[in-house]
Amino acid sequence: MRDNVKGGALTEVTFYILLALYSPRHGYDIIRFIGEKTGGRLMLGAGTLYGALKTLQEKGWIVPYGEVGGRKREYTITASGREVCKKELARLRELVSVAEQIMEKT
Amino acid sequence: MRKKFYRFYGGLITAQARWLNRMSENGLRLVRAETLLYEFEECEPGKYLYQVEFIGQKSMEGAKEYHDFLEDMGYRVFFKNINLNYSAGKAVWRPWADKGGRIATSSTTFNRELLIVEKENDKTPFSLHTTLEDQRNYYKTLRRPMLFAFVFWMAFALVMRTWWVGIFGVLFLIPLIFYQIELTRLTKQAKLSE
Repeated sequence: MRDNVKGGALTEVTFYILLALYSPRHGYDIIRFIGEKTGGRLMLGAGTLYGALKTLQEKGWIVPYGEVGGRKREYTITASGREVCKKELARLRELVSVAEQIMEKT
Repeated sequence: MRKKFYRFYGGLITAQARWLNRMSENGLRLVRAETLLYEFEECEPGKYLYQVEFIGQKSMEGAKEYHDFLEDMGYRVFFKNINLNYSAGKAVWRPWADKGGRIATSSTTFNRELLIVEKENDKTPFSLHTTLEDQRNYYKTLRRPMLFAFVFWMAFALVMRTWWVGIFGVLFLIPLIFYQIELTRLTKQAKLSE
């Protein structure tokens, strides 16, 4: 995933997955959550989600939750994942604020 | 009533998926897939959708994990061979594969290079890879073995000075070009949407 960690910019998919995992969810629920929140605009494929979950685990932003060895594995966000989300929210607020200042003038 | 069909699609991944979807439209659902055999049972026409994915680069654990993940998503998943090889104790070198999958044997990932994934048709599109970046990564995975085979056979032909061996290399050039065209298209699309 091409998240720009230094600059704090996440891809839309990453941010939505992290938001979905503020409550523990398994793959199917993550896709449904994102689909619902975006009104069906962003429907993740299972292969894409699988790759994203692996990458986010490697980054330490999410971890498996509950019974690790069992099927229907759930995931949840970690403290560093929450930190990344906070930074992303601040970045987006700044962006929105700049956009509003400029666009509302014209 | 069950019906058996014998087919071999080899590396024609899209053609295989298209055929399975056509079978479903004609009221046949896949229940078993072996080397050449596809067994179907009758179902409501169009009730199931199929995708075929190349996973030959994965290690045995990686392939199993991905298989289980897809099953947990509610899909039915079948392993399928890309080669037509009946050897019992086969071992092949795959330098293009992920770590742990570079030696593929009959008891690990050899003859299990494809996944046939079945989803119940809920009238939403069925794609396994949906972001441009992920689609590009998938095409790179497809391109890598073709590139290796092309270079290997061409180098072999040059070293041995036997021009006809180069024909094997040229055979791999066809899918290589196809995957490269797709990759270039996706890269252009990614640049436009970023």
